[in-house]
Amino acid sequence: MQARLSDKVQIQPAYLGKATIHVDAGLNRDVVRILLENDGNVGISAITGLDMGEKIGVMYHMRTDGLIVTVRTEVPKENPQIASITDLIPGANFHEREVADLFGIVFQGHPNPARLVLPDDWPANLYPLRKDAKLEEVTANVENCASCSAQHEPVQLQPQSEGKLVNIVVGPQHPALLEPEKFQIKVDGETVNDVEPRIGYVHRGVEKASEQRTYLQDVYLVERICGICNSCHAACFVETVEKIMSVEVPARAKYIRTIILELNRLHSHLLLLGHAGLEIGYETLFQYMWRDREPIMDLTEMLTGNRVISSAMTVGGVRRDLSETDVPKIKTRLEALMKKMDFYQKLYDSEPSFRMRTRKVGVLSKEDALRLCVVGPVARASGVNMDVRKDDPYEAYGEIPFKVITRTEGDTFARLQVRLDEITESINIIDYAVDHLPSGPYRIKVPRVVTAGEAVNRVEAPRGELFYYVKSNGTAYPERVKVRTPTFANIPAFIKTAIGGSIADVPANFVSLDPCFSCTDR
Amino acid sequence: MLDFLLIFRVLVFPGFTFILFFTLFCDWVERKIEARMQNRVGPAVAGPAGILQPLADFIKLLTKEEIIPRDAKKNIFRIAPIIAFSVMVFAICFLPIDGSSAISMSGFTGDLIFIMALVTVANFFLFMSGWASSNPYGGIGAARVLTQFLGYDIPLFLLALTPAFLAGSLTISAIAASQYLPFILLAPWGFVLFIIALQAELEKDPFDIPHAESEVVGGLETEYCGGKLAFLHLTRDVQIVLGAALVVELFLGGPYGPVFFGLPAFWYSLWFVLKVLAVVIVTEYVTCLFARLRIDQVLTANWRMLLPLSVLSLALTVAMATYVYPMVV
Amino acid sequence: MSKLATWARLKSPWVLHFNSGACNGCDIEVVALLTPRFDVERFGIKLEPSPRHADVLLTTGAVTKQCAERLKRIYDQMPEPKFVVAIGACACSGGVFKGNYTVAGGVDKVIPVNAYIPGCPPKPEAIIDGVVKLLNSLKAPKTEAKVNDSK
Repeated sequence: MQARLSDKVQIQPAYLGKATIHVDAGLNRDVVRILLENDGNVGISAITGLDMGEKIGVMYHMRTDGLIVTVRTEVPKENPQIASITDLIPGANFHEREVADLFGIVFQGHPNPARLVLPDDWPANLYPLRKDAKLEEVTANVENCASCSAQHEPVQLQPQSEGKLVNIVVGPQHPALLEPEKFQIKVDGETVNDVEPRIGYVHRGVEKASEQRTYLQDVYLVERICGICNSCHAACFVETVEKIMSVEVPARAKYIRTIILELNRLHSHLLLLGHAGLEIGYETLFQYMWRDREPIMDLTEMLTGNRVISSAMTVGGVRRDLSETDVPKIKTRLEALMKKMDFYQKLYDSEPSFRMRTRKVGVLSKEDALRLCVVGPVARASGVNMDVRKDDPYEAYGEIPFKVITRTEGDTFARLQVRLDEITESINIIDYAVDHLPSGPYRIKVPRVVTAGEAVNRVEAPRGELFYYVKSNGTAYPERVKVRTPTFANIPAFIKTAIGGSIADVPANFVSLDPCFSCTDR
Repeated sequence: MLDFLLIFRVLVFPGFTFILFFTLFCDWVERKIEARMQNRVGPAVAGPAGILQPLADFIKLLTKEEIIPRDAKKNIFRIAPIIAFSVMVFAICFLPIDGSSAISMSGFTGDLIFIMALVTVANFFLFMSGWASSNPYGGIGAARVLTQFLGYDIPLFLLALTPAFLAGSLTISAIAASQYLPFILLAPWGFVLFIIALQAELEKDPFDIPHAESEVVGGLETEYCGGKLAFLHLTRDVQIVLGAALVVELFLGGPYGPVFFGLPAFWYSLWFVLKVLAVVIVTEYVTCLFARLRIDQVLTANWRMLLPLSVLSLALTVAMATYVYPMVV
Repeated sequence: MSKLATWARLKSPWVLHFNSGACNGCDIEVVALLTPRFDVERFGIKLEPSPRHADVLLTTGAVTKQCAERLKRIYDQMPEPKFVVAIGACACSGGVFKGNYTVAGGVDKVIPVNAYIPGCPPKPEAIIDGVVKLLNSLKAPKTEAKVNDSK
């Protein structure tokens, strides 16, 4: 790299991941191309926009060998233009659209630069994440609900035909979607021809809001980005802040965090496996899975004080210690769950109607998984061996033995089976962590004002790699918080696998990604 | 005097009122079994053990506001659910419940075919009700009802001929009365296939395609509310009772059973109720065990598997009845 | 006759769940209501797919701009008599998201709300309690059908 673009790039090792490459705005495509030549499996984790006053910084967080390499460039605020890299890495598509929405950067050559996260009637030329954006009027309008009192126009509900294709609109309110999002599905008979997602129904402006709150308040704010993987968000945020401050968390806190993160994964996976049952009309499976999920909720409540939003993490450790008397309770509950897993495995192996609905449905090949930069169980089901817990260990994962589950089929069944196996692994991890729990303090005092600096951090959330970038300007309020959630990276995989399949397979295929839109939209 | 008895039989027992309450009772049984299978309690508060739950649902729906969508075909939207319901109830009236059917002397040669035709008509009105609501989900749900029904009607009919052949009659009362030995013992293969076809015809798992919430929201019921929705629900429940009753009449010896003392009509009704309940329990059990298949898988299962098998079953029955059973009996 | 209707309504509240921009925390608790531990079918509560079938609208979330019109539309589609329950701190007041640029902050800005169930998220027991209190308020028709669950 240095050799080929010697005078134009500046490489800063061990900064924002493995290294940071500073380049001119015009050279971003060249750098990405060179990275791709080096390692064909380079994926993109996130694109971060950053208001730097006169200029807007653009950071491409690339993933190579499981580690992050940041490509950093700047564009002028007056005329923010940069060449799109979507043709080089198809997975960058949504990332670029999001930055275009929030910062007003024009990505030249982007195949579909339509609005992605902001509301339909958002004023043009207002970019909420720029520091000088005047949001008061918009906010007041929303709060007075200016558009609500108006008599709504009747919508055209009949499927519209465009020649041979029929357009079906699913959402925003639909029983298959627990969350409000809209999908336009073009069908040719029973075959899906195209899927056009419109996300942003749950966009609450968390990234902007976190700049207006202190670091401590932000822990509770980012937790509420997603109610399902809340601990992962909180953990990822506090780890990033700790990285900026160079704080080493006590070992006991690391283990307790690991236990809570794994409990989070258990409840999320059980939730998804049950929900998948609902989508394929297998209500009994749904009820069983959710029955067995309740003990996990009890454990979360016992350890943290709340069933769902645990609020266990804090900068410098955890909020509550784990007492000796809790250990046997954890062990008995997990043992009971472990026994149930055999039953579910048998069901997965032998139940004919379940297998008919999931096998060879929505197949995602390994090449596509890499090209579209999917993460988590979806990638692992397609044979991509990637897990942040192994690749870039955080908390206590470096010291705990566990297997990364991968499969090669890449279909809906494989995606569910990966999660089923991961439940077993998670139980083992918790078991190990409880047995090897170090003594010592469970938190240390840290100052409220964070030293200036920036850091990136990743956590393996139940749905895959969760990415945070935090920039501090030396006050009690962060300058920028960027969140890239796993579902955001996985939606392209759904579009890819749905096209060409049957319309009746869409719910099963969709749910196997474990979509979480409150994460996606933030 | 005769007129009074006739009116009583048609309106109260074993006619309309009995069928209505028995249907609600069966609905409760179904929901209870489903809940128990899923580790839940099921309805528990409305009446003892929640037995009044279906009634409460029904009354509540009757008291709700009636909304007719602007784009709906209003007249059909209004009357189709009620016609579907009445046709179903009418069909049950032909079945011998307490030894004879509600309208006594109504049985005639070939009423088996007549009842099957009535069920088809009722399903057609269900389709009409979904189509009239001018909602894409209602339309798709309705089309699925019709597709599935037309597919599974043929094997169901072929299978219904099995007992008819064994009894040598197309009259239901004659078929039921001729079962000194229930036909389930003489033609178990026919019984098993009939239950499978029935499962599809009643739109229950693994064949409940028209009710796939994750695909078509509420199916043909999507736009319905209030009283019309109440009748749509009731139509479905009556259809389940009718299906179960058909199984009882054709394979389980109808209402006939041992009479210990007193009125035979009382005992016959009791046997009928118990047998129908048994069939309802079996179908609900199957429902809980399986996931929902895809519509193409359902149709393939019908044309490639069930239809040839039902032809085979008929042939086997004919062979057995001609060559084997005369020697045994 | 009206007594019978009230009884039927009390015993058979069918609910529709609408997420108007929530974090999923409340939503999974609403779904958890259906499952073996809580099993609200005991009370005749059924989760319905279509607004036309529902009596009670369970709303979660801080109401984003994109969702507000849809929320209103769904409310209008429901047949009378209908009730709205706001579940969670966000649905009650906007919660942590109040003041953000796409958030209206509270379901009652858009549609009338009959019962508020605060909590982040409220436990399933609290949700059941809230719905039951709302229904009990129907028994005394003179008093306004407004419950403030203080849990």
